Amino acid sequence: MSSVHKEAAKTGGLKNRLFQVKKTGAIVVGKALIAITRLLGRGGTTLPGRLAIRIKPDLAELLAGLLLKGALVVTGTNGKTTTSAFIKNILKAAGYSCIHNQSGSNMSWGVASALVDSASVGGTITADWALMEADEGAFPKIVQDIRPLGVVVTNIFRDQLDRYGEIDRIQEAIGRGMQAQPAGGFQVINADDPSLVSLGGLEGKQRLTYGLEIDLIEDSFLNTGRDTKTCPLCKKELTYERVYFAHLGHYHCPACDFRRPMPDVQLTALTIKADGSSLLTIETFDRQININSPLPGTYNYYNLLAALTCALALKIPEEKAVKTLETSNPSFGRMESFTVNERELVIALIKNPVGANEVLRTILNRAEKAILLVAINDKIADGTDVSWLWDVDFEQLAARPEQLTATFAAGLRARDMAVRFKYAGLDWQQVLVEENSGTALCRALQATPPGGKLYILPTYTAMLEIRRHLNRMGYGRPYWEDR
Amino acid sequence: MDRQINIYHLYPSHLNLYGDRGNMLALSRRAWWRDIELQIIPIEPGDQINFDRCDLLFMGGGQDSDQLLVAADLKKRQVEMRQAVEAGMPVFAVCGSYQLLGNYYTAAAGEKIGGLEILDLYTEAGNKRLIGNAVISCQLWQPARTLVGFENHAGKTYLGPGLQPLGTVLNGFGNNGRDKKEGAVYKNVIGTYLHGSLLPKNPWLTDYLLAKALKYRDQDSSLSKLDDSTETEAHQAAIYLARSWRHRLRSSRA
Repeated sequence: MSSVHKEAAKTGGLKNRLFQVKKTGAIVVGKALIAITRLLGRGGTTLPGRLAIRIKPDLAELLAGLLLKGALVVTGTNGKTTTSAFIKNILKAAGYSCIHNQSGSNMSWGVASALVDSASVGGTITADWALMEADEGAFPKIVQDIRPLGVVVTNIFRDQLDRYGEIDRIQEAIGRGMQAQPAGGFQVINADDPSLVSLGGLEGKQRLTYGLEIDLIEDSFLNTGRDTKTCPLCKKELTYERVYFAHLGHYHCPACDFRRPMPDVQLTALTIKADGSSLLTIETFDRQININSPLPGTYNYYNLLAALTCALALKIPEEKAVKTLETSNPSFGRMESFTVNERELVIALIKNPVGANEVLRTILNRAEKAILLVAINDKIADGTDVSWLWDVDFEQLAARPEQLTATFAAGLRARDMAVRFKYAGLDWQQVLVEENSGTALCRALQATPPGGKLYILPTYTAMLEIRRHLNRMGYGRPYWEDR
Repeated sequence: MDRQINIYHLYPSHLNLYGDRGNMLALSRRAWWRDIELQIIPIEPGDQINFDRCDLLFMGGGQDSDQLLVAADLKKRQVEMRQAVEAGMPVFAVCGSYQLLGNYYTAAAGEKIGGLEILDLYTEAGNKRLIGNAVISCQLWQPARTLVGFENHAGKTYLGPGLQPLGTVLNGFGNNGRDKKEGAVYKNVIGTYLHGSLLPKNPWLTDYLLAKALKYRDQDSSLSKLDDSTETEAHQAAIYLARSWRHRLRSSRA
């Protein structure tokens, strides 16, 4: 070997070693912080990742590169947590191991935290897949970091507009993420959402779509306005033959040739059974698949279709996917129940009008007396603009006064929520306001009789506070063990 | 005497971005609590607007693509609308519609989009969005009262020399983040960037609009006092959060 080459090998070696030190340092610091934050009773899903990528900015990319199979990213306004929980369970049923950022910590540092948590100190990863739920705004960065084989986009609704400005911008961010995905991968998108169908970034990738082909009655009270009604190509107003909810449905542009594509995976028949479960008939590639789903709601049909389409793209045996979908339960924060001192406590995360309306409707449909606690925070993870509360149809609670025996408003924005209840037509002098979520939880539990039911509707960080309180009281499992 | 107010809500399915439903709810509840009959008439692009029957015109915020559609439709009614405004018709415009009432809007690429020329102001596209809680001191009352809301806009608006702002910025950015002015008032037209929704947490502004609408049609504009303790507490709490250094830290991206 010539001396020049020797020199090169030497510096390369040194560089490599330095690089190794930095990587190990980042992983060690990250892992130590995860351990410490957990000892303090927190999830360790944000800070450790943030610091680890401070030390080594391309840590997520390095670790993701070591995955045996590859990475998958799920994004969209609603349903990404449920959809990714479905996909994770399917992967497990198919015998794969899978890293997942379960706790809804879906910014780039949350992804880094999850990878660091499952890496060895030496920097190796033994998992087959990393399945990452991505916040819409963080999606382009996460795609760049972990270079996913598959991306799944559920929908674009009005969510936390303070963060990204307007819906057009969310759409633009998702489009950039699609572009950044490496060639050879696949994309799964909702055909019923016109704002997704027009997205580019298809070069060298396979795109699969899913959608509904059934008749559903439009929810008349979902009067939150359609977010995307104009044609993404020529800006003329879209014509809808069918509307499933908000702007999801069968659409076409009267002026240009933009129209809903025929979905690759279609829900063609639906029977709702007496026990609340649904029998779904799905047609795909000349095949028919029947699924008996325990989950109600149009929402969940979309989530289920997204997960099934992803499973088909991964060539996972159909019967394994079906069996998993028939036995999967709602995931973190989406209608979980606990029993506390003979009282049933149900927690359902709310974060935008469409999702919150669905939760309220489910509660009212159960036609039983209950106590309601709504906890609204306005930190970054909740959305710092609480305007969306006014687009939620809380009026439907006032229409059924006999069902609510007590109402609590909690969180940093408890007083905004109290005003919301007042203008919704509830007996506002009876609404109890308590900013501290933990105190509110205790008072609401005291107001709940044995055998009674308490519904808690928190925003994201309020949910973490409430769960922390429940853990301290000895109920519920710590959320970071929720995987 | 039976009092009645007709609110024309311009383009509810296009301009409804930031909880405008809250503004509608505030107006209708506060009218209803006082036995005033209030009707909200939704207007969609292409509908006929009869300004003779409109006692209060409400225009909300929309996203860019919808805004262009709406601007084109409204341009056709510019002359009638200006006549009604000069005659004292109350108008309440939030965010995108507020910009639309001005002379023009310059997009990032330099393209100039004409406005309705009702308010002497113009807007330039900014590269940084102005986002956050805001508190302003508003001179519609003597002594001045505070208004609290949330702002989220990329456009920077500058008022002409004769145009009064809605208020002076105490916390937040206001029209452009520079001159401490927020919103604009001309005759009975109010334009603002604040939402939140704005009216529920600022009940005095809601009542101001109701009184103006009644007066415009020569009806008795006196409004009985309501128990506003819930609203006032929310107003004070919002001021506290907007000023809290700690809260700004945990609710900002910086």
